[in-house]
Amino acid sequence: MNIRLRQSLQRGGALVALILAQGAAAHEQAGVAGGLVSGFLHPITGLDHLVAMVAVGLWGAQLGAPALWVLPVTFPLVMALGGVLGVLGVPLPMPELVIALSALVLGGAVAVRLRAPFGVAALLVAVFAVFHGHAHGVELPKAANPLAYGIGFVLATGLLHGCGITLGLLTRWPQGDRLVRALGAAIALLGTDFLATGLRML
Amino acid sequence: MTPPTMTARPWLLALVLLLAPGLAEAHIIAARLGDFYTGALHPLTDPQDIVLWLALALFAGSLGPGRARWLVLLMPLGLLAGFLLQVTLGIGQIGALGAAGLMVGLGLLLASGLATGLAAGNRLFGGAVLLVTATSGASNAAGMAPEANATLFAAGLASAGYVVITLLLAAIVALRWPSTDTSGTAGWRAIVLRVCGSWIAAIGLMIGGFALKSLAGV
Repeated sequence: MNIRLRQSLQRGGALVALILAQGAAAHEQAGVAGGLVSGFLHPITGLDHLVAMVAVGLWGAQLGAPALWVLPVTFPLVMALGGVLGVLGVPLPMPELVIALSALVLGGAVAVRLRAPFGVAALLVAVFAVFHGHAHGVELPKAANPLAYGIGFVLATGLLHGCGITLGLLTRWPQGDRLVRALGAAIALLGTDFLATGLRML
Repeated sequence: MTPPTMTARPWLLALVLLLAPGLAEAHIIAARLGDFYTGALHPLTDPQDIVLWLALALFAGSLGPGRARWLVLLMPLGLLAGFLLQVTLGIGQIGALGAAGLMVGLGLLLASGLATGLAAGNRLFGGAVLLVTATSGASNAAGMAPEANATLFAAGLASAGYVVITLLLAAIVALRWPSTDTSGTAGWRAIVLRVCGSWIAAIGLMIGGFALKSLAGV
Protein backbone atom coordinates (compact mmCIF):
# COMPACT_ATOMS: atom_id res chain seq x y z
CA MET A 1 0.00 0.00 0.00
CA ASN A 2 1.16 3.50 -0.73
CA ILE A 3 2.98 4.83 2.34
CA ARG A 4 1.32 8.22 2.14
CA LEU A 5 -2.11 6.62 1.87
CA ARG A 6 -1.35 4.38 4.86
CA GLN A 7 -0.28 7.36 6.94
CA SER A 8 -3.44 9.25 5.97
CA LEU A 9 -5.59 6.29 6.98
CA GLN A 10 -3.79 6.02 10.31
CA ARG A 11 -4.25 9.71 11.03
CA GLY A 12 -7.88 9.58 9.96
CA GLY A 13 -8.49 6.58 12.20
CA ALA A 14 -6.85 8.35 15.12
CA LEU A 15 -9.00 11.44 14.51
CA VAL A 16 -12.23 9.39 14.38
CA ALA A 17 -11.27 7.57 17.59
CA LEU A 18 -10.58 10.89 19.25
CA ILE A 19 -13.91 12.44 18.20
CA LEU A 20 -15.88 9.39 19.31
CA ALA A 21 -14.13 9.15 22.68
CA GLN A 22 -16.53 8.85 25.63
CA GLY A 23 -16.20 8.24 29.33
CA ALA A 24 -16.71 4.63 30.41
CA ALA A 25 -20.04 3.84 32.13
CA ALA A 26 -19.94 0.48 33.88
CA HIS A 27 -23.53 0.59 35.25
CA GLU A 28 -25.78 2.51 32.88
CA GLN A 29 -29.02 0.96 34.15
CA ALA A 30 -28.83 2.39 37.65
CA GLY A 31 -31.14 5.02 39.16
CA VAL A 32 -34.01 6.69 37.36
CA ALA A 33 -32.90 5.60 33.87
CA GLY A 34 -32.56 1.98 34.98
CA GLY A 35 -36.00 1.97 36.61
CA LEU A 36 -37.62 3.60 33.58
CA VAL A 37 -36.01 1.18 31.12
CA SER A 38 -36.77 -1.95 33.17
CA GLY A 39 -40.37 -0.81 33.78
CA PHE A 40 -40.89 0.00 30.11
CA LEU A 41 -39.37 -3.26 28.90
CA HIS A 42 -41.19 -5.53 31.37
CA PRO A 43 -44.56 -5.64 29.57
CA ILE A 44 -42.89 -5.64 26.14
CA THR A 45 -40.33 -8.39 26.68
CA GLY A 46 -42.82 -10.77 28.30
CA LEU A 47 -44.67 -12.28 25.33
CA ASP A 48 -47.62 -13.41 27.48
CA HIS A 49 -48.14 -9.82 28.73
CA LEU A 50 -47.57 -8.30 25.30
CA VAL A 51 -50.12 -10.37 23.37
CA ALA A 52 -52.76 -10.01 26.09
CA MET A 53 -52.39 -6.19 26.13
CA VAL A 54 -52.67 -6.02 22.35
CA ALA A 55 -55.70 -8.37 22.48
CA VAL A 56 -57.44 -6.00 24.92
CA GLY A 57 -57.03 -3.16 22.40
CA LEU A 58 -58.18 -5.34 19.49
CA TRP A 59 -61.28 -6.53 21.34
CA GLY A 60 -62.11 -3.00 22.45
CA ALA A 61 -61.91 -1.85 18.83
CA GLN A 62 -64.19 -4.70 17.74
CA LEU A 63 -66.73 -3.94 20.49
CA GLY A 64 -66.74 -0.21 19.65
CA ALA A 65 -67.80 2.60 21.99
CA PRO A 66 -67.86 2.74 24.98
CA ALA A 67 -65.50 -0.28 25.34
CA LEU A 68 -63.10 1.30 22.86
CA TRP A 69 -62.18 4.10 25.29
CA VAL A 70 -63.36 2.77 28.67
CA LEU A 71 -60.95 -0.17 28.55
CA PRO A 72 -57.77 1.92 28.08
CA VAL A 73 -58.95 4.29 30.85
CA THR A 74 -59.82 1.64 33.42
CA PHE A 75 -57.34 -1.14 32.57
CA PRO A 76 -54.21 0.65 33.92
CA LEU A 77 -56.04 1.49 37.15
CA VAL A 78 -57.23 -2.07 37.77
CA MET A 79 -53.83 -3.42 36.76
CA ALA A 80 -52.17 -1.05 39.22
CA LEU A 81 -54.41 -2.42 41.98
CA GLY A 82 -53.08 -5.88 41.11
CA GLY A 83 -49.60 -4.33 41.13
CA VAL A 84 -50.12 -3.08 44.69
CA LEU A 85 -51.11 -6.62 45.74
CA GLY A 86 -47.90 -7.90 44.13
CA VAL A 87 -45.76 -5.23 45.82
CA LEU A 88 -47.27 -6.01 49.21
CA GLY A 89 -46.69 -9.72 48.69
CA VAL A 90 -50.38 -10.71 48.68
CA PRO A 91 -50.48 -14.05 46.84
CA LEU A 92 -52.91 -14.77 44.00
CA PRO A 93 -53.87 -18.31 42.93
CA MET A 94 -51.89 -19.63 39.95
CA PRO A 95 -50.94 -16.24 38.47
CA GLU A 96 -48.92 -17.62 35.54
CA LEU A 97 -51.77 -19.90 34.47
CA VAL A 98 -54.34 -17.10 34.62
CA ILE A 99 -52.06 -14.82 32.58
CA ALA A 100 -51.72 -17.58 29.98
CA LEU A 101 -55.48 -18.08 30.09
CA SER A 102 -55.98 -14.35 29.48
CA ALA A 103 -54.12 -14.59 26.15
CA LEU A 104 -56.20 -17.64 25.18
CA VAL A 105 -59.57 -16.11 26.15
CA LEU A 106 -58.95 -12.57 24.85
CA GLY A 107 -57.36 -13.85 21.63
CA GLY A 108 -60.25 -16.28 21.18
CA ALA A 109 -62.78 -13.47 21.74
CA VAL A 110 -61.09 -11.44 18.97
CA ALA A 111 -60.87 -14.46 16.66
CA VAL A 112 -64.60 -15.29 16.88
CA ARG A 113 -65.59 -11.59 17.12
CA LEU A 114 -67.39 -12.25 20.43
CA ARG A 115 -70.06 -9.57 20.99
CA ALA A 116 -70.14 -9.86 24.78
CA PRO A 117 -72.21 -7.35 26.78
CA PHE A 118 -70.05 -4.43 27.91
CA GLY A 119 -70.33 -5.31 31.62
CA VAL A 120 -69.22 -8.90 31.03
CA ALA A 121 -66.30 -7.83 28.83
CA ALA A 122 -65.22 -5.22 31.39
CA LEU A 123 -65.40 -7.73 34.27
CA LEU A 124 -63.41 -10.34 32.35
CA VAL A 125 -60.73 -7.84 31.36
CA ALA A 126 -60.59 -6.46 34.93
CA VAL A 127 -59.94 -9.92 36.41
CA PHE A 128 -57.13 -10.53 33.94
CA ALA A 129 -55.75 -7.02 34.56
CA VAL A 130 -55.37 -7.76 38.28
CA PHE A 131 -53.25 -10.83 37.51
CA HIS A 132 -51.09 -9.01 34.95
CA GLY A 133 -50.57 -6.13 37.40
CA HIS A 134 -49.68 -8.59 40.15
CA ALA A 135 -46.88 -10.04 38.02
CA HIS A 136 -45.51 -6.53 37.39
CA GLY A 137 -45.85 -5.59 41.05
CA VAL A 138 -43.84 -8.58 42.19
CA GLU A 139 -40.97 -7.27 40.03
CA LEU A 140 -41.32 -3.63 41.24
CA PRO A 141 -39.25 -3.78 44.45
CA LYS A 142 -36.27 -5.10 42.49
CA ALA A 143 -36.22 -2.06 40.20
CA ALA A 144 -33.58 0.63 40.55
CA ASN A 145 -36.13 3.42 41.04
CA PRO A 146 -39.73 2.40 41.85
CA LEU A 147 -41.33 5.61 40.58
CA ALA A 148 -39.45 5.43 37.28
CA TYR A 149 -40.33 1.72 37.03
CA GLY A 150 -44.02 2.55 37.53
CA ILE A 151 -43.90 5.29 34.88
CA GLY A 152 -42.18 3.01 32.36
CA PHE A 153 -44.52 0.10 33.01
CA VAL A 154 -47.73 2.17 32.75
CA LEU A 155 -46.49 3.92 29.58
CA ALA A 156 -45.59 0.62 27.91
CA THR A 157 -48.93 -0.93 28.85
CA GLY A 158 -50.86 2.07 27.54
CA LEU A 159 -48.89 2.09 24.31
CA LEU A 160 -49.57 -1.63 23.82
CA HIS A 161 -53.29 -0.95 24.21
CA GLY A 162 -52.87 1.86 21.69
CA CYS A 163 -51.22 -0.59 19.27
CA GLY A 164 -54.13 -2.98 19.71
CA ILE A 165 -56.75 -0.26 19.20
CA THR A 166 -54.93 1.09 16.12
CA LEU A 167 -54.70 -2.39 14.61
CA GLY A 168 -58.34 -2.91 15.58
CA LEU A 169 -59.37 0.05 13.44
CA LEU A 170 -58.65 -2.20 10.45
CA THR A 171 -62.01 -3.86 11.18
CA ARG A 172 -63.63 -1.06 9.15
CA TRP A 173 -62.55 -2.90 6.02
CA PRO A 174 -63.46 -6.55 5.24
CA GLN A 175 -59.84 -7.57 4.59
CA GLY A 176 -58.72 -5.77 7.73
CA ASP A 177 -61.43 -7.49 9.75
CA ARG A 178 -60.13 -10.88 8.61
CA LEU A 179 -56.58 -9.82 9.49
CA VAL A 180 -57.64 -8.74 13.00
CA ARG A 181 -59.45 -12.03 13.56
CA ALA A 182 -56.36 -13.90 12.36
CA LEU A 183 -54.27 -11.93 14.87
CA GLY A 184 -56.74 -12.94 17.56
CA ALA A 185 -56.41 -16.59 16.53
CA ALA A 186 -52.61 -16.33 16.67
CA ILE A 187 -52.82 -14.79 20.17
CA ALA A 188 -55.17 -17.59 21.28
CA LEU A 189 -52.73 -20.20 19.94
CA LEU A 190 -49.88 -18.58 21.85
CA GLY A 191 -52.08 -18.53 24.95
CA THR A 192 -52.72 -22.26 24.52
CA ASP A 193 -48.98 -22.86 24.35
CA PHE A 194 -48.37 -20.74 27.49
CA LEU A 195 -51.15 -22.60 29.28
CA ALA A 196 -49.81 -26.04 28.28
CA THR A 197 -46.33 -25.05 29.43
CA GLY A 198 -47.71 -23.74 32.72
CA LEU A 199 -49.73 -26.90 33.33
CA ARG A 200 -46.71 -29.09 32.63
CA MET A 201 -44.75 -27.16 35.28
CA LEU A 202 -47.38 -27.73 37.98
CA MET B 1 10.52 3.82 3.96
CA THR B 2 8.94 5.61 6.89
CA PRO B 3 10.62 4.98 10.26
CA PRO B 4 8.43 3.07 12.81
CA THR B 5 8.44 6.07 15.17
CA MET B 6 6.80 8.19 12.46
CA THR B 7 3.86 5.75 11.93
CA ALA B 8 3.35 5.19 15.66
CA ARG B 9 3.17 8.90 16.49
CA PRO B 10 -0.49 9.57 15.48
CA TRP B 11 -1.69 6.45 17.29
CA LEU B 12 0.28 7.37 20.40
CA LEU B 13 -1.15 10.88 20.37
CA ALA B 14 -4.71 9.54 19.96
CA LEU B 15 -4.14 7.01 22.76
CA VAL B 16 -3.03 9.74 25.15
CA LEU B 17 -6.06 11.86 24.29
CA LEU B 18 -8.43 8.87 24.52
CA LEU B 19 -7.25 8.08 28.02
CA ALA B 20 -8.08 11.59 29.16
CA PRO B 21 -11.45 12.42 27.54
CA GLY B 22 -13.47 15.29 28.94
CA LEU B 23 -16.91 16.64 28.14
CA ALA B 24 -17.12 20.04 26.52
CA GLU B 25 -18.60 22.67 28.81
CA ALA B 26 -19.76 25.61 26.77
CA HIS B 27 -21.47 27.30 29.71
CA ILE B 28 -19.80 26.71 33.03
CA ILE B 29 -22.92 27.37 35.08
CA ALA B 30 -21.20 26.81 38.37
CA ALA B 31 -19.00 29.86 37.78
CA ARG B 32 -21.76 32.50 38.03
CA LEU B 33 -25.38 32.22 39.17
CA GLY B 34 -24.80 28.47 39.47
CA ASP B 35 -27.37 27.99 42.21
CA PHE B 36 -30.06 29.61 40.03
CA TYR B 37 -29.55 26.89 37.41
CA THR B 38 -29.30 24.21 40.08
CA GLY B 39 -32.68 25.33 41.45
CA ALA B 40 -34.18 25.42 37.97
CA LEU B 41 -32.92 21.95 37.03
CA HIS B 42 -33.57 20.28 40.40
CA PRO B 43 -37.31 19.56 39.89
CA LEU B 44 -36.76 18.53 36.27
CA THR B 45 -34.47 15.69 37.32
CA ASP B 46 -36.97 14.22 39.80
CA PRO B 47 -39.69 11.97 38.28
CA GLN B 48 -41.99 12.71 41.26
CA ASP B 49 -42.02 16.44 40.52
CA ILE B 50 -42.41 15.84 36.79
CA VAL B 51 -45.44 13.55 37.25
CA LEU B 52 -47.08 15.85 39.83
CA TRP B 53 -46.56 19.00 37.73
CA LEU B 54 -47.93 17.21 34.67
CA ALA B 55 -50.94 15.98 36.67
CA LEU B 56 -51.63 19.48 37.96
CA ALA B 57 -51.33 20.99 34.48
CA LEU B 58 -53.67 18.34 33.03
CA PHE B 59 -56.16 18.92 35.83
CA ALA B 60 -56.10 22.70 35.42
CA GLY B 61 -56.28 22.36 31.63
CA SER B 62 -59.28 20.04 31.87
CA LEU B 63 -61.18 22.70 33.87
CA GLY B 64 -60.94 25.21 31.05
CA PRO B 65 -58.73 28.16 30.06
CA GLY B 66 -60.26 30.46 32.70
CA ARG B 67 -59.07 28.41 35.67
CA ALA B 68 -55.92 27.23 33.91
CA ARG B 69 -54.68 30.82 33.58
CA TRP B 70 -54.59 31.16 37.38
CA LEU B 71 -52.08 28.34 37.62
CA VAL B 72 -49.50 30.35 35.65
CA LEU B 73 -49.48 32.86 38.53
CA LEU B 74 -50.06 30.45 41.41
CA MET B 75 -47.42 27.89 40.44
CA PRO B 76 -44.28 29.98 41.17
CA LEU B 77 -45.93 31.55 44.24
CA GLY B 78 -46.86 28.14 45.65
CA LEU B 79 -43.37 26.79 44.99
CA LEU B 80 -41.85 29.77 46.81
CA ALA B 81 -44.27 29.36 49.74
CA GLY B 82 -43.35 25.67 50.10
CA PHE B 83 -39.68 26.51 49.76
CA LEU B 84 -39.93 29.10 52.57
CA LEU B 85 -41.86 26.70 54.82
CA GLN B 86 -39.16 24.07 54.47
CA VAL B 87 -36.22 26.47 54.87
CA THR B 88 -37.63 28.41 57.85
CA LEU B 89 -39.79 25.88 59.71
CA GLY B 90 -38.61 22.57 58.28
CA ILE B 91 -42.13 21.50 57.26
CA GLY B 92 -43.95 20.92 54.01
CA GLN B 93 -42.66 17.57 52.78
CA ILE B 94 -45.24 14.82 52.36
CA GLY B 95 -43.03 11.87 51.44
CA ALA B 96 -43.57 9.20 48.82
CA LEU B 97 -46.92 8.08 50.24
CA GLY B 98 -48.32 11.63 50.20
CA ALA B 99 -47.07 12.20 46.66
CA ALA B 100 -48.65 8.91 45.61
CA GLY B 101 -51.94 10.03 47.20
CA LEU B 102 -51.83 13.30 45.24
CA MET B 103 -51.15 11.40 41.99
CA VAL B 104 -54.05 9.02 42.63
CA GLY B 105 -56.42 11.85 43.60
CA LEU B 106 -55.60 14.10 40.64
CA GLY B 107 -55.48 11.11 38.28
CA LEU B 108 -58.89 9.83 39.36
CA LEU B 109 -60.43 13.32 39.08
CA LEU B 110 -59.08 13.53 35.53
CA ALA B 111 -59.99 9.96 34.53
CA SER B 112 -63.55 10.25 35.84
CA GLY B 113 -64.09 13.73 34.41
CA LEU B 114 -65.89 14.60 37.66
CA ALA B 115 -64.06 17.84 38.44
CA THR B 116 -65.62 19.85 35.62
CA GLY B 117 -69.14 19.19 36.87
CA LEU B 118 -68.55 19.72 40.57
CA ALA B 119 -70.00 22.76 42.32
CA ALA B 120 -66.92 22.87 44.53
CA GLY B 121 -64.66 22.92 41.46
CA ASN B 122 -62.93 26.17 42.43
CA ARG B 123 -62.15 24.98 45.95
CA LEU B 124 -60.96 21.64 44.62
CA PHE B 125 -58.72 23.41 42.11
CA GLY B 126 -57.34 25.74 44.77
CA GLY B 127 -56.64 22.87 47.14
CA ALA B 128 -54.89 20.83 44.46
CA VAL B 129 -52.71 23.80 43.43
CA LEU B 130 -51.79 24.58 47.03
CA LEU B 131 -50.93 20.97 47.89
CA VAL B 132 -48.90 20.17 44.78
CA THR B 133 -46.97 23.45 44.53
CA ALA B 134 -46.21 23.84 48.24
CA THR B 135 -45.10 20.25 48.73
CA SER B 136 -43.03 20.37 45.56
CA GLY B 137 -41.35 23.58 46.73
CA ALA B 138 -40.64 22.03 50.14
CA SER B 139 -39.20 18.79 48.72
CA ASN B 140 -36.91 20.77 46.39
CA ALA B 141 -35.77 22.96 49.28
CA ALA B 142 -34.95 19.83 51.27
CA GLY B 143 -32.78 18.64 48.39
CA MET B 144 -30.79 21.89 48.27
CA ALA B 145 -27.12 21.62 49.21
CA PRO B 146 -26.27 23.41 52.52
CA GLU B 147 -23.67 25.64 50.86
CA ALA B 148 -26.08 26.74 48.10
CA ASN B 149 -27.40 30.30 47.86
CA ALA B 150 -31.06 29.87 48.89
CA THR B 151 -32.26 33.03 47.11
CA LEU B 152 -30.77 32.03 43.77
CA PHE B 153 -31.97 28.43 44.19
CA ALA B 154 -35.54 29.56 44.99
CA ALA B 155 -35.52 31.99 42.05
CA GLY B 156 -34.42 29.19 39.72
CA LEU B 157 -37.07 26.83 41.10
CA ALA B 158 -39.88 29.40 40.72
CA SER B 159 -38.73 30.31 37.20
CA ALA B 160 -38.65 26.66 36.14
CA GLY B 161 -42.14 26.18 37.59
CA TYR B 162 -43.44 29.22 35.72
CA VAL B 163 -41.90 28.22 32.37
CA VAL B 164 -42.78 24.52 32.54
CA ILE B 165 -46.36 25.02 33.69
CA THR B 166 -46.99 27.77 31.10
CA LEU B 167 -45.77 25.57 28.25
CA LEU B 168 -47.70 22.54 29.50
CA LEU B 169 -50.91 24.53 29.98
CA ALA B 170 -50.59 26.09 26.53
CA ALA B 171 -50.33 22.64 24.95
CA ILE B 172 -53.13 21.10 27.04
CA VAL B 173 -55.57 24.00 26.59
CA ALA B 174 -54.87 24.05 22.84
CA LEU B 175 -55.59 20.31 22.72
CA ARG B 176 -58.69 20.27 24.92
CA TRP B 177 -60.24 23.66 24.16
CA PRO B 178 -59.33 24.60 20.58
CA SER B 179 -60.76 27.95 19.43
CA THR B 180 -62.23 26.29 16.36
CA ASP B 181 -62.88 22.59 16.06
CA THR B 182 -64.29 21.48 12.75
CA SER B 183 -62.75 18.02 12.82
CA GLY B 184 -65.38 16.59 15.18
CA THR B 185 -62.71 15.20 17.50
CA ALA B 186 -63.81 17.03 20.68
CA GLY B 187 -64.84 13.74 22.30
CA TRP B 188 -61.48 12.16 21.60
CA ARG B 189 -59.63 15.18 22.98
CA ALA B 190 -61.43 14.75 26.31
CA ILE B 191 -60.65 11.01 26.26
CA VAL B 192 -56.93 11.73 25.81
CA LEU B 193 -56.98 13.70 29.08
CA ARG B 194 -58.94 10.91 30.80
CA VAL B 195 -56.42 8.28 29.64
CA CYS B 196 -53.54 10.46 30.90
CA GLY B 197 -55.38 10.76 34.24
CA SER B 198 -55.78 7.00 34.55
CA TRP B 199 -52.09 6.49 33.78
CA ILE B 200 -51.11 9.02 36.47
CA ALA B 201 -53.45 7.39 39.00
CA ALA B 202 -52.01 3.97 38.12
CA ILE B 203 -48.46 5.24 38.66
CA GLY B 204 -49.54 6.74 41.99
CA LEU B 205 -51.15 3.47 43.08
CA MET B 206 -47.99 1.50 42.40
CA ILE B 207 -45.78 4.03 44.17
CA GLY B 208 -48.20 4.06 47.11
CA GLY B 209 -47.96 0.28 47.30
CA PHE B 210 -44.19 0.47 47.36
CA ALA B 211 -44.24 3.23 50.02
CA LEU B 212 -46.59 1.12 52.17
CA LYS B 213 -44.26 -1.84 51.78
CA SER B 214 -41.30 0.30 52.87
CA LEU B 215 -43.25 1.65 55.87
CA ALA B 216 -44.32 -1.82 56.93
CA GLY B 217 -40.76 -3.06 56.48
CA VAL B 218 -42.01 -6.08 54.54
